[in-house]
Amino acid sequence: MSARTEELRLDGNALGGALLELLGPEGTASVATCGSCGARGELARLVVYVRCPGLVGRCPACDAVLVSVVEGPDQTWVSLAGLRTVELRR
Amino acid sequence: MAGAAVLGGLTTGWQVAEVVDAVDETPRVRTLVLSAPDWPGHRAGQHLDVRLTAPDGYQAQRSYSLSSAPGEPPAITVERLEDGEVSPFLVGELRPGDRLEVRGPIGGWFVWEPALGGPLLLVGGGSGIVPLMAMARLRAAAGSEVPARLLLSSRSWEDVIYRDELAALADGPRGLEVVHTLTRSQPAGWSGYARRVDEELLREVAWPAEANPQAFVCGPTAFVESIASGLVALGYPPERVKTERFGATG
Repeated sequence: MSARTEELRLDGNALGGALLELLGPEGTASVATCGSCGARGELARLVVYVRCPGLVGRCPACDAVLVSVVEGPDQTWVSLAGLRTVELRR
Repeated sequence: MAGAAVLGGLTTGWQVAEVVDAVDETPRVRTLVLSAPDWPGHRAGQHLDVRLTAPDGYQAQRSYSLSSAPGEPPAITVERLEDGEVSPFLVGELRPGDRLEVRGPIGGWFVWEPALGGPLLLVGGGSGIVPLMAMARLRAAAGSEVPARLLLSSRSWEDVIYRDELAALADGPRGLEVVHTLTRSQPAGWSGYARRVDEELLREVAWPAEANPQAFVCGPTAFVESIASGLVALGYPPERVKTERFGATG
């Protein structure tokens, strides 16, 4: 993996702003289950690539794409298609 | 725009903040203290997003960790990355009275509060100290007696962010234990660590796993992943090692 690619590989903490409206300020602590391998963990622990454009979150266990988010000037596109569940904290 | 706009019942989260103070921490790092009327308060370890809009409408957005303790006004500490779009402006050009758009606070996982206990191990690489400083400041402000140790890797003594305040926090019997390593250059007579954090250094500095420590690690991706795997190799359960990576797109 090139140094440049590594600089763009962060973690699920980076999803927090884009998912603020959907999951609330502490949404990165929400526990999610991978739809591919069933691994379960906080969204903060996903592997997140930035500038894709947007953000792509992958499962740290099996690398499946779980979340993608693109923020435009007037709307945000969110796909959670790779997730089996997200446990929302109250 | 005044305050966080509410559209269709959803807050967009963006609000205008004013810079009320700017503090040079090192030649390349500056703290911006902000006044944001709709700021709900934050927890130690959270971050905020900054959005800048050019006259032609082009927008650039970045995340910055909050360095102030909960209860204090939001403050971010920003390192200037020379080829960055945003950080040279934040570090070099913004002045008290200037405004910028922010949203936050953000994050519910990479956070510490005294009730979570410890012993606490904080490991920072360069400006990875920033969210850890919010935790260290909270620990001091709350009078917490949770044993806490900070391992901070910096390039040189001049590059150590919050250098004087860290020395003050280390004062006293229940002070924060601070261990520096200087990877690129060291002052004359330096007797501390002078290399990148490796397994041996980590073994010498980290609390033993038997003490059930809680670790927070923040820095560039390669740094964070090396430290996290090193701590797990020392017996730390993965769920007791919380990590936050930052990129080099400033």
